[in-house]
Amino acid sequence: MKARLRIFHRLILRALFREPLRTALTVFAVALGVAVVLAIELAGVAAAGSFRSSLETLAGDADLEITAIGGVPEELLGTLARLPYPLEFSPRLEGVARVEPEGASVTAVGLDLIAQRALGDAQHPSPEEIADSRAVWIGADIEPRKGGVLSLSVNDRRFEFIVRGSLPGAARERVVVMDIASAQDAFARAGRLDRIEARHPPSRPLEHWRQLILDALPPGVAVEPAGARTDENRKMLAAFRWNLRVLSYISLIVCGFLIYNTISVSVVRRRPEIGIARALGATRWDILAAFLAEAACFGAAGGLAGLALGRLLAEGAVGMQAATVDSLYVSSAPAAIELSAGAVALALLTGVAVSLLSALAPAFEASRVAPVEALTSGQREFQARVRVRRDLLAGLLLAVLAAAASQAPPIGRKPVFGYVAALLLIAASAMATPAVVTVLSRAWRKGIRLILGVEAMLAARGLAASLRRTSVLVGALSTAVAMMVAVGIMVGSFRQTVVLWLDQQLRADLYLRPAAGGAGRQAVIHPGLADALEALPGVAAVERFRSYDISYGGLPALLASGPTEIVRRFGKTRFLPGQDRHAILDQLPLGDYVIVSEPFANKHRVRPDDMIALPLDGEPREFKALGVYYDYSNERGYIVMDRGVMLKYLPDAAATSLSVYFDSGADPAVVRRAVERTSADYAVSIQSNRALRAEAMRIFDRTFAITYALEAVAVFVAVMGIAGALLALIIDRRQEMGVLRFLGAATGQIRRLVLFEAALLGLAANLIGLAQGALLSLILIFVINKQSFGWTIQFHWPVALLAGGLSLIYAATLAAALYPARVAVRLNPIEAVREQ
Amino acid sequence: MPLLTLDHVSKTYRTNGAAVTALRDVSLAVEAGRFVALAGRSGCGKTTLLNLAGAMDFPSSGEVLIDGVTTTGLGDAALTRLRRAHVGFIFQLFHLLPTLSVVENVELPLLLAGRSGARGAALESLRWVELEDLAGRMPHQLSGGQMQRVAIARALVHSPKLLLADEPIGNLDTATGSTVVALLRRIARERGAAVLMATHSMESAAACDAIVRLRDGRIEEIEPR
Repeated sequence: MKARLRIFHRLILRALFREPLRTALTVFAVALGVAVVLAIELAGVAAAGSFRSSLETLAGDADLEITAIGGVPEELLGTLARLPYPLEFSPRLEGVARVEPEGASVTAVGLDLIAQRALGDAQHPSPEEIADSRAVWIGADIEPRKGGVLSLSVNDRRFEFIVRGSLPGAARERVVVMDIASAQDAFARAGRLDRIEARHPPSRPLEHWRQLILDALPPGVAVEPAGARTDENRKMLAAFRWNLRVLSYISLIVCGFLIYNTISVSVVRRRPEIGIARALGATRWDILAAFLAEAACFGAAGGLAGLALGRLLAEGAVGMQAATVDSLYVSSAPAAIELSAGAVALALLTGVAVSLLSALAPAFEASRVAPVEALTSGQREFQARVRVRRDLLAGLLLAVLAAAASQAPPIGRKPVFGYVAALLLIAASAMATPAVVTVLSRAWRKGIRLILGVEAMLAARGLAASLRRTSVLVGALSTAVAMMVAVGIMVGSFRQTVVLWLDQQLRADLYLRPAAGGAGRQAVIHPGLADALEALPGVAAVERFRSYDISYGGLPALLASGPTEIVRRFGKTRFLPGQDRHAILDQLPLGDYVIVSEPFANKHRVRPDDMIALPLDGEPREFKALGVYYDYSNERGYIVMDRGVMLKYLPDAAATSLSVYFDSGADPAVVRRAVERTSADYAVSIQSNRALRAEAMRIFDRTFAITYALEAVAVFVAVMGIAGALLALIIDRRQEMGVLRFLGAATGQIRRLVLFEAALLGLAANLIGLAQGALLSLILIFVINKQSFGWTIQFHWPVALLAGGLSLIYAATLAAALYPARVAVRLNPIEAVREQ
Repeated sequence: MPLLTLDHVSKTYRTNGAAVTALRDVSLAVEAGRFVALAGRSGCGKTTLLNLAGAMDFPSSGEVLIDGVTTTGLGDAALTRLRRAHVGFIFQLFHLLPTLSVVENVELPLLLAGRSGARGAALESLRWVELEDLAGRMPHQLSGGQMQRVAIARALVHSPKLLLADEPIGNLDTATGSTVVALLRRIARERGAAVLMATHSMESAAACDAIVRLRDGRIEEIEPR
């Protein structure tokens, strides 16, 4: 053991400390890779973790939840209370309100304050306070304090409440609690409850009590274990989080290339030392262990640094993720970021595991060095050269496997084979890189001197001569470039698809929504407003759109309705190929028919003519799916029926949003002013067609901002790796640089030579990355995205984005070469030439 | 006027904080067309003298003049121009670039200097050392003697007035070494260049016009032949 430590110290550690900058760059690259993975993990937990906040347990832990589409009829509470069982039932109503005038969203919760003791013993409200419909209790984050007036917009109305106290156990929550009757009034949901929570004694299992309750309730009312909704939301978020997680691994893959390069350089440089060590009695295992230990050192140091860096990055990432969750999934405030023991272990293990895996091949090669082989480093490059064809064949085989994997179906709603296909494609590209670099270097062998000068020729020859090292560097950078290109094409295609879809979808002139509202909790507009708008001169039609949050097949979904006649007149809803829009819309209002959005159809495998069971109006009812339409507004997916059909089962005329169509001859400004005047008494937001589109695109861009951030980190890691590797290359070729100075090279020419090397590396990486990225984008768009979210995306080349991104990477690659170039210029040629 | 003049030149290096004097008050003049050997033990200052003579380094005191131009006070660009115009180097380990062919190695000084007609001059230079047939080969395909002759062709390609050879036969067998020394002598005679050769070998030094014996950084003796 002691002997092995000595070998490790003399062969590895001393060399690391001799080049502190290069060592630091490698450690920092690992640290960044680890940090990104950790940050996404921590931020994901924090962004999703708030689903089950202290809000959930405000009135104590419930065992079961009783829910129904459109709300649970209030009288069922009485039915349940009369059951001869030792069960406790508590009503609950929840919605999003907006604090005025600041505009921040809060969760408003209505509870039975007398029975539930939700406010704690210390401030148990008096009967007078509960009877006061304006009394509220608030979380610590909300102003004003006790006794103050809290102004809230709820749905389309504004209310003034008196703060009676603060909430125990909800110090960090933006929550307002009121008595259930006050909440029903504020949310205009008289006679309805969001859910009834039940607690049962531990004497019998939960299923026993669930069955008893179900037997006592009419059909169409669901009884589920508490937290089922939270679990559904988590399941819904899983794809979003999973995809981010996978994106965060890109930096790690790039790190893997760099560690491979670093250890390979170590092995090539120390072949004589390895040979001597072997000749003096070191075993193959000693050598293998020494180089793996070097990688483990990089991994552990990078993991530790990544831990701190990841915690910092998580702060930024949680904001971005939480905004997306809030916009697209469910209203939720991010929870605190917690650096758990698991997260610490994840960071360290990730760093060490990636480093060890990447170092395995070069370390194994080092262990095979025979004592007599240790005379020259040229042997290794020769081996790399003769393997070009074999590696290319292996790359082609991997590409075929990638194509096969991309055809496989998802596993448990996860595009597992899509990821496998992407990984295989990256591996295929890495294997083909030496061949591509060889072809490129042959292509530019001829004319490069005439076009770019002698420095470019020397740079090209130098890179071609160290093919193995060049290939690994090009592989690292091209992987980062490829992921940037792939994600760029995917997001650009998605964006273009959404822009086109918005063109078809948004046909109205004005859109009205309740001022208070948020994803996952539907606020409504009073029906009187729609009637009043419809009567305005210049208004051709008002489309009343209503949606309810429902649970379908164990996942959250949306049940919605709209007036088919208006959709037919004004809308341009597109159905999947082979489905007749006119026939579908003609049939939709005639009975129990629905159309479903593409994400819903893909998630629940619904096709035209399939039956969809929905418990409505106390009965399980069957609706026939007439068609599947393109929709990019919500990943949960819509089941849409005609408004008349929905009102038959859920007789609530309020709408979630209103779309106002103007007469073709009307003056839009005049009609808009009339609409604004008519809506003045309602807390609604009015947006023009253009403003709504702009907001949709803003949300879209915000959603994908984090993916760009992840790409940027991967590219940064790769560019840093280039800097470190060029530095190593300069150090290894210092004698050549010295000779060039003796032969009349000016310092500017030495600088240009290094910059040309970076330029050629960058060019090769960009070319390979562009091709690889275009192929990867096909997997992202047509496999991973389709299987994760169910959306059809039209392929589109975002030329400006790609040109900008590639130019930026190219510039960064050149910038990364500035320091190595400076080192090269400052080399003392006399010392360099004298070295043996 | 001598082509190379060293006037009371001293050179002191700092190594780990300690001052090491490599040359002490050396004065030397080499005329065009002369072949001069620098002889002495390892560490006596031969390579330092060659580096100063080739404008690769500055003296700590004294003055070095190449073709009448002092190197003292010149900037990096001016030194580079001076080397490109007047100086050719030959090394013990040849130092051919392994990624370039023979002819590409030879034309390199002209390309670095941005001069036209590099390929023609390189082939002419190779002809002079009788290796034009090997122009397309790579360095690893050559013998040691051939490599050194290619290195000489490279040093001659820009027709320098001063040729500096640092142990040019140190890595060659005796017969090949003799050929190389004869070639250097021919360069001095036929091309009129001043050739300064550092060597351990008294046999090869004997072929020179003069032997400058160095000891502990000082000129011990200048022996005309």
